[in-house]
Amino acid sequence: MATHRDETIGEVPVELDLTLEELDPAGAICEAHENLYRDSRATFLRRATVGGAALLGALSVVPASGAQSANDVDILNYALTLEYLQSSFYTEAERIRALRGNAREAAEVVGAVERAHVQALRKALGSAAVSRPTFNFGGVTEDQRRFLKTAVAFEDLAVGAYKAQAPRLQSKPILAVAISIHSVEARHAAWMRRLFGIVPAAEAFDDPVSRPEATRIVASTGFITSSGKTEREAKPRFTG
Amino acid sequence: MPTLDSRHSRSDLLQRAIVAGGALTAGGLVVAGLPKLASSAPSPAQDVRVLNLALLLEYVESAFYAEARAKGALRGELRVFAEVVGGHEQQHLAFLKKTLGSKARTKPKMQFGKATSDPDAFVEGALALEDTGVAAYNGQATNLTAGALAAAARIVSVEARHAAWIRSIVGKTPAADATDPSLTEAQVLTALRKTGFLRS
Repeated sequence: MATHRDETIGEVPVELDLTLEELDPAGAICEAHENLYRDSRATFLRRATVGGAALLGALSVVPASGAQSANDVDILNYALTLEYLQSSFYTEAERIRALRGNAREAAEVVGAVERAHVQALRKALGSAAVSRPTFNFGGVTEDQRRFLKTAVAFEDLAVGAYKAQAPRLQSKPILAVAISIHSVEARHAAWMRRLFGIVPAAEAFDDPVSRPEATRIVASTGFITSSGKTEREAKPRFTG
Repeated sequence: MPTLDSRHSRSDLLQRAIVAGGALTAGGLVVAGLPKLASSAPSPAQDVRVLNLALLLEYVESAFYAEARAKGALRGELRVFAEVVGGHEQQHLAFLKKTLGSKARTKPKMQFGKATSDPDAFVEGALALEDTGVAAYNGQATNLTAGALAAAARIVSVEARHAAWIRSIVGKTPAADATDPSLTEAQVLTALRKTGFLRS
């Protein structure tokens, strides 16, 4: 499969692979199906609560202040930082109202899910939770195309980051939730990639992204303008 | 609240922990998709059992897409989907067969009927297979050794991408929930039988 690496977010490669346009030049995007199966936007938005929250609640069964291992607390705080990044990005995009149509709908649905992830991780970590860094997305939320490209980069990164950490978790209940968040991030990645016009699933196997690599990538975007701190320590956690 | 200590059996604690987790947030929410954890700790022998379940799924998925491509009845993005996804499933199949070696289960007998030629039936089959695939891998995560989990995690996210893709093509929400459900082995087998693709 031909791979183009001509687009980046900071240093984050957005692998364009084959574009859907190349694969489907006639643009036959099965409109008949869309009409047949369409879930209306109103249906999404009527769902006041995000589904899957019950499983997320399992994260906080063993509070950080108690029996969670330092290892797991550290991993959950890392996940929390990535979720802060994503949720702030979608929330800002929603507030700015620059998105239209399917992209706007996707930002609303995905944003609500990322906020639910933040809430669950914060609850699980209790006083050990790192606080939300401050972000400056540099205008990428103000333009549909740049928004989608950034969303693709963030979601693909989140998939790789959760994938690298899952086998390192010691608590089985936490692993059960983390692996389930991981596949939701992959759904988001596929959704955003399709909206951006690139193949939702480029490879047969998704690669893990190590923490130093993810940290370097996020730092390269310049989106984080000040790091969060835990209540326990003044030192920023998201230092790689 | 339960803590992970040595006075209780590990699996008992985990099961209770999960149930309690559901109860904590159950008010007004549908309690669904709580993981059913196995009663035995991860081991190489259990990895074989779990990976053979994955192999069964990949056999069905790869044969489904291969037949759809051979029949050539799909058009537009559905055709692209069948080609790209079918290629992935073949690679998953090859990986699992190689990993399991002589312990790999045999290929099941399958029949897809019009699901590989009629676009609507194809969509229905693809939705069922991909969403079941995600839930099956997720449901086994805690049963795997770390090495096997690392390998399975590289596959499950691709299945989730496939599921989101086909859902998106037909206008279904690709990811409405904060977590994906998980299925036990028995539930996976039931879901597979429900497709009618397995010939008994």
